[in-house]
Amino acid sequence: MLRLWFDKGTLLLKGEAGTPYGKWDPRVGCYRIKAHHYRDVLEYLAESKLQVEDSVTILPPLEQIKSNVALRDYQNEALNNWCKARNRGVLVLPTAAGKTFIALKAIQQLKVQTLIVVPTLDLIDQWKKRVKECLNLEAGAVGGGENTLRMVTVTTYDSAYIHAEHLGNKFMLIVLDEVHHLASTGYIQIAEMYTAPYRMGLTATYERSDQRHFLLSQLIGDTVYSIAIEELTGEHLSPYTYEKISVELTAQEQQTYESQMNIFRSFLQQRKITLRSAADFQKFIMTTGRDPKAREALLARNRAVKVAVNSEAKLTVLAQQLEAYRKEKILIFTLHNDLVYRISQRFLIPAITHQTPREERREILSNFENGKYPVVVTSQVLDEGVDVPDASVGLILGGTGSNREYIQRLGRLLRKKEDKLARLIEIISKETMEVGTSHRRHQKIRGAT
Amino acid sequence: MLPNTLLSVSKRKGEIFPRYAKPSSENIEAANFLIEAYKSHIGEKKKVLKSLVTELEDKGYEYRFVRALSLLLDRKSTFVSKCKINPVDLRRKIFEATQQCGLPTTSENRRKILETVASEMDLSVEDVEEDFYSDLDRELVLENFAAPSVSELLGEYNLGLTQTLLFDATELSFTASGNWQDLFHAIKKFGLIYEVYKDNGLWVKIDGPGSLFKLTRRYGVGIAKLLPIIVANSEWTVKAKIIWRFTNEICDFKLESQKHSSLLKKQRLPTLTYDSAIEEDFASKFQALTTGWTLKREPEPVIADKHVIIPDFSLEKAGIKIYLEIVGFWTEDYLRRKIEKLKQVEVKMLLLVNEALACEKLSALDKRPQLDLNYYRNKISLAPILRYLQTQFEDVKSKEIKLLEALSIKFTEPVVDFREFAARIGVSAEAARAFLAASPPSGYVALADILVSKEKLLQIGDKIKVAIGQSGKLLLKEAARIIEKQGVDDSANVLTMLGYRIIWRGIDSQQAEVSKNPTNSSE
Repeated sequence: MLRLWFDKGTLLLKGEAGTPYGKWDPRVGCYRIKAHHYRDVLEYLAESKLQVEDSVTILPPLEQIKSNVALRDYQNEALNNWCKARNRGVLVLPTAAGKTFIALKAIQQLKVQTLIVVPTLDLIDQWKKRVKECLNLEAGAVGGGENTLRMVTVTTYDSAYIHAEHLGNKFMLIVLDEVHHLASTGYIQIAEMYTAPYRMGLTATYERSDQRHFLLSQLIGDTVYSIAIEELTGEHLSPYTYEKISVELTAQEQQTYESQMNIFRSFLQQRKITLRSAADFQKFIMTTGRDPKAREALLARNRAVKVAVNSEAKLTVLAQQLEAYRKEKILIFTLHNDLVYRISQRFLIPAITHQTPREERREILSNFENGKYPVVVTSQVLDEGVDVPDASVGLILGGTGSNREYIQRLGRLLRKKEDKLARLIEIISKETMEVGTSHRRHQKIRGAT
Repeated sequence: MLPNTLLSVSKRKGEIFPRYAKPSSENIEAANFLIEAYKSHIGEKKKVLKSLVTELEDKGYEYRFVRALSLLLDRKSTFVSKCKINPVDLRRKIFEATQQCGLPTTSENRRKILETVASEMDLSVEDVEEDFYSDLDRELVLENFAAPSVSELLGEYNLGLTQTLLFDATELSFTASGNWQDLFHAIKKFGLIYEVYKDNGLWVKIDGPGSLFKLTRRYGVGIAKLLPIIVANSEWTVKAKIIWRFTNEICDFKLESQKHSSLLKKQRLPTLTYDSAIEEDFASKFQALTTGWTLKREPEPVIADKHVIIPDFSLEKAGIKIYLEIVGFWTEDYLRRKIEKLKQVEVKMLLLVNEALACEKLSALDKRPQLDLNYYRNKISLAPILRYLQTQFEDVKSKEIKLLEALSIKFTEPVVDFREFAARIGVSAEAARAFLAASPPSGYVALADILVSKEKLLQIGDKIKVAIGQSGKLLLKEAARIIEKQGVDDSANVLTMLGYRIIWRGIDSQQAEVSKNPTNSSE
């Protein structure tokens, strides 16, 4: 009789037969198989009429689900497609299109032990809340100081990765929220080291600039449903407008900006370096580790960017905008934490950064949700997935120019509310490289306005 | 361990070299400057300390080096928030006030809101401004600092640097002079897999389960955590394969105790504690005896096919090495794995097994030629072990005697020491003694530890006779001096052999005398 068991994120098969999925491991004298092949291996052995003593999974007890999830048409279609693909695959839906509900419905239908993997600790709280509301179930959590395994457990990519050796065999369904994260070299091992036969990836933006999302289809399944933001706009999501306000730097800022940028540019000229792509830039950063001149050039560039991004003139315009939208719910985004705190102290409004204590962050978010705090300023921590309901104005002060970031910041503002027109306003500095960044960012989304 | 951003290494010809901080005057100066800065800035904000680091950077110090030093010092510090009220509560009050009065877009409005909050909380406006974000990391105040020495700090930096590099390791091989039990425990604890091989000593190669499928950094953290336990030894060598993060190529990394030991911070080796009272009792009783066997705890691991066993003890004598393993505690699974491993050993091993384990499974081991089983009840009794050791030794001894018998041995020197002879031939002293005493070469007489030529014996006899002269008596110490002058140590046996008697007056050897043996008075 063959024996199959789980060993630190992999499967071990002992006996007289191998499978096409295994590889002989001379270190232990067994066949070793990647954990994600668990279903394949069982199917292969069954087809080959081979008996196996399977002690792979150790599952938390099942609990009773009382569900009140009702899906919209497109959500139902997405779920059906996923089921047809043998409970595997990626669903691409814009932020706020209710991806969470599709996953919860899947859990309700399958009634299996489920691990939900999310990018941030905030999202753990949010999913736990949803599980409670929609399935009447207390969810467990791993990460952020918690460590409880339940039928439905929520964790972060970091914790799922770090604890793969002992969490890998505890679930039948794995839901990967914001699944594009998974394609990174580290996190992709989550998909490989968990045995869960059922897999659901959720994302608004599947494409990665490094094209690594192609790696995921054999680990999670193909994209089984995809709907663009345009198809939902108006019907399920509120429409929005985008405008851009250019601000001139103050004379002194302009001077600092120019002088610092000149240091950077002349260094590039001297060394005959051209920076056309992100990869070029990465290469350049690499040289700064051993070349003090290159480092000095990089620091000068960073100082220039900081001046442009944190321009005092922008704060004046920001004040005008805040004044203009006094009755609205406003989110302010900035690139640097310094600026977040400057704005928070200047306008006496709540700030959220990675340094904000978790309790305070919860309180601020919930007060923003219930309307007590009309304005919140933040750096990038709210970029993904965290529900910040019905904000109607977004003000962007500086950004990194990535396509995904833009869509998702935007998405955060798009909450369906009657007759509401969401506004996205970007405040940029004139005559600086920021114009280029903002242009790049906006290209991809022009059709939506 | 340091953050990746502070990793400072270089690559040459596919090999990676960390930029270690040698104890140069500049490095000592930087370390000293920072240590003194932390000492003298107790009560000040973290951002002040960090500005001092920037100062060093501006002086031309490598930024990763000084930032790492400062980070290591942060870890020896306690930073606290020094404000009069909880800043979270203060902020809540401010945000609520803002909500009541409306967003302040002018500085007058802002001031008004702060005044309201300040008076409500019985603070000044300045206090409110000061405490607004006083819980931010950079605003925290240094309360306590456990200052390291400069060399400790540099050693910690170098160790941390190496560990940070190892985060990117796909595998690591090492050899070490000891600490095996800790090392193998750690390997298991960190979820790593080992393979052992012999290459001028015992080498252990470490990676993880998933390494079978692809080169991965996944086990780098575990590998890095292992490093301090390896370098705690007096001798070690470490080789690793590193993924160079910029180009994704695999590079080599090597570290040796001879070159690098002094650079790295060293943990103190844990003092060996016994796993059980039974072991401890056995060891102390055994060492109280003079057996000629050297008892060693936690000897070098024994390779058993794909695994290692670290036996509890090794016993060595005359080139024989016998391992001793005490099987006392057990679970079904433990015993099963132990037996699997023991079946593979290729060295001589004596198992001392708790009688409660006298099961069929274990007695299957009885048939293995390398293994011997001995059962004990509450304590291990020495007698059967000594008997076993004796048998093992007799085996060797009789083989050696046979070997000696086959040689034709001729001596020319007047005195032959058994030990020297044994060492020269490469047999045990016991075998040499047994062989030479049983049949001394012609012209020689065998004493307890030496052979003496008959000629030499006669010379000595003459000298003693003269010294005794007419008095018929001679002090033993005088006789011994005469004999030793002739190049022979064993004066008592020589005298006996020559037919003299030693008369003891009390226990003081200074008073002892030599006289003619009355039974041989006719001579």
